[in-house]
Amino acid sequence: MDSKIKINQLRVGFDVGGTFTDGVLVSGTEVLAKTKVLTATDVTGGIIAALDQLLAISKVNKEQISMVSLGTTHTTNAIIERRNLNKVGIFRLGAPATTAIPPLTGWPDDLIEVIGGKENVFIVRGGSEYDGRDIVPLDEKAIREACQHIKGKVDAVAITGVFSPIIPDHEERTAQIVKEELGEDVHITLSNRIASISILERENSTILNASVINVMRRAVNSLKKAVTDRGINTRLFIVQNDGSIMAADYAVDYPIFTMASGPAASVRGAVFLSGIENGVVVDIGGTSTDVGYIVKGFPRESSITVTIGGVKTNIRCPDLLSIALGGGTIIKHKNNHVYALGPESVGYNLVRLAKSFGGPILTAHDIGVAVGRLREKLEVFNTDYVVDRQKIRDLPSDLVKGAEALIKETLETAIDKMKTTAEAVPAIFVGGGALVVPREGLHGVSEVILPKHFEVGGAIGATIAEIGAYAEGVFDLEKEDRQDSINWTVEQAKDNAVLAGAIRSTVEVIDIEEIPFTYMPGKREKIRVRVKGKIFQEEN
Amino acid sequence: MGVWDVIRKWSLKESDYQIIDHQAIREITLGASILATGGGGDPEIGLLWTYKVLNEGKPIIMVDPMKIPDDVLVASMACLGAALVLTEKPPNENVLNNAIAKLEAYLGSQLQATIPIECGGVNSPVAYAAAGELGVPVIDVDGMNRAFPELQMTSWVTHGVHASPTVSADDRGNITVVDTGQDDLLAETICRRVAMAYGGISWIATYPMRGKQVKETSILYSQSIAWAVGKAVWEARTKHLDPVMQAMQSLKEKRNVNSFRAFKGKIVDIHREFGGETAKGFTLGKITMEGIDEYKGSIATLDFQNEWLNLLIDGRVRCMPPDLIAILDSETGEPIRTDIMKYGYRGTTILIPAHERMRTERGIQIFGPRHFGYDLDYQPVEELCADL
Repeated sequence: MDSKIKINQLRVGFDVGGTFTDGVLVSGTEVLAKTKVLTATDVTGGIIAALDQLLAISKVNKEQISMVSLGTTHTTNAIIERRNLNKVGIFRLGAPATTAIPPLTGWPDDLIEVIGGKENVFIVRGGSEYDGRDIVPLDEKAIREACQHIKGKVDAVAITGVFSPIIPDHEERTAQIVKEELGEDVHITLSNRIASISILERENSTILNASVINVMRRAVNSLKKAVTDRGINTRLFIVQNDGSIMAADYAVDYPIFTMASGPAASVRGAVFLSGIENGVVVDIGGTSTDVGYIVKGFPRESSITVTIGGVKTNIRCPDLLSIALGGGTIIKHKNNHVYALGPESVGYNLVRLAKSFGGPILTAHDIGVAVGRLREKLEVFNTDYVVDRQKIRDLPSDLVKGAEALIKETLETAIDKMKTTAEAVPAIFVGGGALVVPREGLHGVSEVILPKHFEVGGAIGATIAEIGAYAEGVFDLEKEDRQDSINWTVEQAKDNAVLAGAIRSTVEVIDIEEIPFTYMPGKREKIRVRVKGKIFQEEN
Repeated sequence: MGVWDVIRKWSLKESDYQIIDHQAIREITLGASILATGGGGDPEIGLLWTYKVLNEGKPIIMVDPMKIPDDVLVASMACLGAALVLTEKPPNENVLNNAIAKLEAYLGSQLQATIPIECGGVNSPVAYAAAGELGVPVIDVDGMNRAFPELQMTSWVTHGVHASPTVSADDRGNITVVDTGQDDLLAETICRRVAMAYGGISWIATYPMRGKQVKETSILYSQSIAWAVGKAVWEARTKHLDPVMQAMQSLKEKRNVNSFRAFKGKIVDIHREFGGETAKGFTLGKITMEGIDEYKGSIATLDFQNEWLNLLIDGRVRCMPPDLIAILDSETGEPIRTDIMKYGYRGTTILIPAHERMRTERGIQIFGPRHFGYDLDYQPVEELCADL
């Protein structure tokens, strides 16, 4: 077990997935109770049901529970389903630049409509150059006038200024004016707190964040109430996109940071359970497998844009390769020759449709049973792993061999694509389908680790009491000292970690990235620092 | 006056021009990004701008270069500066109109069409968006049929046309006229300084010339070539064909040249340096790729200065500038650019002979291997890859 993580308090973690909501109650690294309940249409209801089961199974003293934490799909679902979204007032500080591509360009029409339409959009004179000069002075009068237009029509405001990740002044000043004009009840999101350089994607991320503030606020409030009603007096945390956690009250301001919390929590859970801090994590579910790469205990970040509900964003998400391989994946074959894996899956109908359960369809699960890898019922599942043994025995051996070979090759290719070195690396298998796929003799893998409680890895990941945060800045290294620049960025990142709930003395640097600017004279570069910190004081 | 007035004035037949719609500009930009040889920047801003122009009902028309009158005035419109600044500071839609107005005033003559400067993710769609905003056609040519890092690296210069006067504008309405006569390198140096003073990027109207010069000095049908490559890769994606093969096939059909599939591998090392070229302001470096599939055991190294410059496979030179190097994602055909590449990227390298107008003696002097600091005489890729 990882010697760096010693948290003896009782912790409760949840992972809301598409099919199941997983819950665990842990002490240190010991799992006292685990459960899987079907994810309800009312996501919060499913979490509360799982909580009640955990309390019933473990019979712990509720007063000793020191944190409740969850990875959730509340905000993602709201955006995808266009449900309960806020009306958003949109300010861009950038005119006379940027006007060729106004806010909401490329957004789906139905989403534009539910957040209040284009009449609440204003491109105001202002913003900064990369070197700190104003493009033009901020047009405060125009902001006040715009506020009169949107007064009473919006629940939230999104403010995005050119180069605000480097110079936030115009965004901060605009926020002040909006508060004066619209009062404290209108929530304000500033783009410099949300994402990095690349204004259109950052603006999109900022507007989406503003649109789901109330969704997150309601979820946090009802969960807080549910926890309190059960006599648990503790802090609530939400998993963020890098798999670390943030205080629930902080999450209310930054719901967009929870978009990828599910898969990220699985990666963190795998690290926690295995003690491996560098290698590949393979999270095998019912319809797909996510392959991620861990560096120093955190998922490697993706450098490409992430599309949410039809909108391009640049929020930081884990670099995951998703392949169509899970327990329910359909094995397509003809004359005992396998010609494709999926991409379709029987999903939660596995127990009706797969051969192992007397059904007509050959699935990856059946191959796992046929080769003898699946040998026991997992306690979190209600159904045994095989019901109709004869149907499995009747499978032609060529067919089983062919399917097994294709599954192995598919897995090996996915792992290889995520690796950055030619050397063999350890692979940690987690997820409800972890037993389905081969673990022996995988090319490019030094060893496969199947940790205990692998089937609830995501929920366990939520219980790791670590806060993640980052900061970045752009520096001209011909004018500024490199080390001073790095130190400044480190301090900013530490401030952000404290805001998200970390104890300052526990915050440490995970990595420092330096990215040079192309097509620009001088030694200009972007410095980006990631840090992590704890929510409990270090124990002895 | 609108673009249709120009088409009528030139008495063009329907077969002399093509109407550019959303899908056309997507395909042209994809093809141009592939021909950009690892450079040219992110297509996003230019594409969104073009979509906006089209959505506002402003037509964009591309015209056959051999059908334009000899005496009309045309010029290039482009973004010059730091690609990263552009992703944060998109333009004002009138910025190039302002530059053009100043150029027209300086020359005392009215501009009637635009000529794209290069094939690249930024400047290809920008040329179309600007033409749409201005209400003039785009001529089916450019000055490179690839991307290059500097203003003077064009077939126009090597055939005696000059970048001056160039008008450099910013979003606030600032205008700088750069007229360095026949000294195109000086025009490049001044324009880059001006871009920095503006805040990292500038919008230029450059290479004013007459129709006759367009015909005699441009890379003719450069836009159609990019379009064919983009269309081929787009089709490969939707029909699940090999995009690399389709791209090579389209070049064979459109340009009658053989391209070379030289390597397939993944990036295992990236070395970026500011180096001694600090003042020039380019990203320099070298990557190493390790062979996969049939190239297992082979090692490729590529140098870059914004664009890929030079390719060595197992120590042997396989391609030098101005010939083109494209590394394409083997599944999607998306080009891997020097500004976004990272460890572990996988791709197939194809080598494409530069257009003949880029291979003149003067051309090899201005953008051949010795210009980029290699102690090598230029050899065409067809010779270097005769055994492939």
